[in-house]
Amino acid sequence: MEILKVQNLCKTYGKGEARVDALKDVSFALEKGEFAAVVGESGSGKSTLLNCIGALDVPSSGSVTIEGHNLHTMKEEERTIFRRRNIGFIFQSFQLVSELTVEQNIIFPILLDYRKPNAQDVKEILDMLGLTERRNHLPNQLSGGQQQRAAIGRALITRPKLILADEPTGNLDSKNSQDVMDLLTQASRHYQQTILMITHNNNLTASVDRVLRVTDGVLTDLGGNANERFS
Amino acid sequence: MKGFLDLVPSSAKVHKKQSRMSVFCIILSVFLVTAIFGMADMFIKGQILQAQSENGNWHIGIRDITDEDAAVLAARPDIKTVSAYGVLNFRGDQGYTLSNKDAAIFGCDEAMVKDIFEMLSEGAFPQAEEEALVSDNAKETLGLKTGDQITVKTASGEELQFTISGFATSTANLLREDSLGVLLSTEGFRAICPEVKNGNASDYNTMFYVQLANTRHIQNTIQDIKASFSLTDDQISENTKLLGLLGQSSSAFMMQVYGAAIVLFVLVLCAGILMITSSLNSNVAQRIEFFGLLRCVGATPKQVMRLVRKEALHWCRLAIPIGVVTGTIVVWLMCFVLRWLSPIYFGGMPIFSISIPSIIAGICVGLLTVLLAARSPAKKASKSSPLAAVSGNANDLQPVRRAANTKLFKVDTFLGIHHAKSSKKNFVLMVGSFSLSIILFLSFSVTIDFMKHALTPLHPWTADLSIISPDQTCSVRNGLIEELSGNPAVDKVYGRMFAYNVPVVVNGETKTVDLITYEEKQFDWAKNYKLSGSLETAQNQTGTALIVFEAENTIQIGDTVTLNLGEKSSNIEIVGMVSDCPFNNRADVGKLICSEETFQQMTGESDYTIIDIQIAEGATENDVSAIRKMAGGTYTFSDDRMSNSNTRGTYYCFGLFVYGFLVLIALITIFNVINSIAMSVAARMKQYGAFRAIGLSNRQLVRMVVAEASTYAVTGSICGGILGLLCNKILFDKLVGFNWGDPWNIPVAELAVIIAVVVIAVILAIRGPIKKIRDMSIVDTISAQ
Repeated sequence: MEILKVQNLCKTYGKGEARVDALKDVSFALEKGEFAAVVGESGSGKSTLLNCIGALDVPSSGSVTIEGHNLHTMKEEERTIFRRRNIGFIFQSFQLVSELTVEQNIIFPILLDYRKPNAQDVKEILDMLGLTERRNHLPNQLSGGQQQRAAIGRALITRPKLILADEPTGNLDSKNSQDVMDLLTQASRHYQQTILMITHNNNLTASVDRVLRVTDGVLTDLGGNANERFS
Repeated sequence: MKGFLDLVPSSAKVHKKQSRMSVFCIILSVFLVTAIFGMADMFIKGQILQAQSENGNWHIGIRDITDEDAAVLAARPDIKTVSAYGVLNFRGDQGYTLSNKDAAIFGCDEAMVKDIFEMLSEGAFPQAEEEALVSDNAKETLGLKTGDQITVKTASGEELQFTISGFATSTANLLREDSLGVLLSTEGFRAICPEVKNGNASDYNTMFYVQLANTRHIQNTIQDIKASFSLTDDQISENTKLLGLLGQSSSAFMMQVYGAAIVLFVLVLCAGILMITSSLNSNVAQRIEFFGLLRCVGATPKQVMRLVRKEALHWCRLAIPIGVVTGTIVVWLMCFVLRWLSPIYFGGMPIFSISIPSIIAGICVGLLTVLLAARSPAKKASKSSPLAAVSGNANDLQPVRRAANTKLFKVDTFLGIHHAKSSKKNFVLMVGSFSLSIILFLSFSVTIDFMKHALTPLHPWTADLSIISPDQTCSVRNGLIEELSGNPAVDKVYGRMFAYNVPVVVNGETKTVDLITYEEKQFDWAKNYKLSGSLETAQNQTGTALIVFEAENTIQIGDTVTLNLGEKSSNIEIVGMVSDCPFNNRADVGKLICSEETFQQMTGESDYTIIDIQIAEGATENDVSAIRKMAGGTYTFSDDRMSNSNTRGTYYCFGLFVYGFLVLIALITIFNVINSIAMSVAARMKQYGAFRAIGLSNRQLVRMVVAEASTYAVTGSICGGILGLLCNKILFDKLVGFNWGDPWNIPVAELAVIIAVVVIAVILAIRGPIKKIRDMSIVDTISAQ
């Protein structure tokens, strides 16, 4: 089942001589439960692609549909609610709410939806993330790895159709990076979660189903190669 | 780049937006101080001009000293002028007349007319004992000119002959009392003083008016004079108003006023410091990563502190001149309005005057405040860890110690409240700056009560000219009203009939009342003073009257009062009560107001006791003379224009100062709130971006910002309200209670106004940032600097 469909996506910044084509006619699709990684050099257009898919940024042309819904034709309020319910974000710098505890941070998207979180779901996620003991801690009382695990929990709580992770291990050491990758893989398998992750750590692509490479705004599908190594 | 401090201008360019807010805060503070000090300076200058013109440019008066002592005093280098002054028949009770009109006889030295009062309008000061200056009103009424002979009659029938050497401006008292002024030299005056021949100065009840050369240490000079001439406290009197305005008064009342001024000055200073501290604090908090980076590359904490201080001073270069210039422009506008309102008094005030004290105060307060305010953020910046620059936690605005309780409110609302309270210091600064605006407003609003008590505002019925029955009977002929109303120089003319000390019986008690009539205009003006009942009934229905409120009065609405007028007795029903009327009588005598028809029915009188005239705008002295001629010589013609204009001038000046000041505080409150909220939102921009990415809708974002702003506003209003009321009470007791014994009441209207201003400011304040966030893409919000 196709969850994400990106068609002829272009994004241009500036005009005239200052014009930069960050994305050039990018098209690809992701199936339900697929865990894909986008790799590329710094400035190649990876983050722009992720921002356009997550409707954080507006593409110059082309379309992004999530389960048939075109995000960029929606009104702002509608798009926000759609994003809240269907897209989970994981940022490099965690972006946890410093005033909220680990548990509150995890259930934050549900609170924004003015719904009551299911205690069983929360417990399950906390257990999976190994944060049960730390559920009442504030972000500044956690290590970087624990903070990123809490951010993964926040992305998972609404059972979104798609999780977008922007360099989720960028601020972590190798041990914590591996833990985070294991968690994402586990989530992908356990919840049949579709995940699109940006990374420039080639070692991390070992555990993903599919690798996409962006070079100067052009996307190349390197296909499913769990053991591919880039020099 | 020669040194690390050269980073400041480059950094300012990059952080233009944040710098702009801090610069704006400094401008506001400097503007506030410059405008307030400038306005106060202008007010004092205006008042000094008015006091000198009204009461004379003298500082102390000394009585019971010899002429020799006066001469020694005049020779002192710290004394500019000394003039002897004596008066006869000032209150019209010693029987001196000129052409059958009361005449006040003054005796003084030339300095009095030229230096102290500047009242010589024509001719020269009397050089011989038989020469006299005559007041301008005598010149007009008697058609006199320089060189004419006048004869002053004394009570004993003696005739004193004088040659007119010139004319002097009429004083307000002469015009009000409808008496004429004859001014002699001291020698001339002493020669005619009854029962004293060649006596001492004290025998002529002479007062020596002294103008000091140096107005800086007047109290010291007074003490010195006292010691040198062995004078007692009773022998020396101060020109309290002028000395008060010069900041040199020793009177208890002025001490209270100075005390109040110091409290207000400290409040203004605190407002400035808080505003700038809050801005710098927020600015530094946003750039903690930058300072961490500086520490990373080797800057010592001391260097970071110097950098922050230099940055603050860098803003001052632009902000202080702008603040001073805008403050001065506001003062100029005020001067312009003042000249326009009262050209007689403030015509001499230059519009484009530069108030040096206000500029110095603006610059000093700006610089001092910035340096003081920069201390704490500079320390904070210097403490920023190098790790902060390289870890993702650098953007955490403040370390959070307690988690939010998301069960009480919706998460967006709660986060807003939590944002406001998360940093204790920031919260205190924000609430402090909100509170201070309210405290300032409530404190300064006391000056309105002070003004209303200190300066009797002119009532709508206040007359410029009055034609009064000399024996206070109904003898001013009725037809005069019609004749006067036909005169184009007359704007309004209205008469009142009086029956004084009428014995009445009410509810079985015998009392005394004065019965007065109103006509249409006066009934109309009385509407604003109505306490209860119906004015219309008293106006249209005969046999009814109004009672004027008096604490001792027991007559109530609905009572029937039996008046005993001669042999006739008639009943009158009380149908309404008013708080005030145009005349005062003894406290134990009641005042009843009825229509002219009712009065005629009761007394049979149809002529007036007094006819009041309000003259038309632009009416000239000739017009007034024509009115005087119309009235004829049988009545007392009272001219109150000068004293009205004095009152009006002071009232306008003070009113403009007080209300201008309150408007200024209200505007500062609005700017401060807008700036504070904008800074607070700007500081959290990145976080808002992340929230939006996670799924926070614009509506929820609005709620979050509103909740944050409301937290500041509500807490600020509560704290400001409580402390403001406390300050209000202290100042009220100092300025009003001390003098007039009024009890303090909660100033509900003022409190409501300032809280409404805060609410409006908050509404205005959240519009801008919300629109900005809405217009920004989420990516831009996340990466906002």
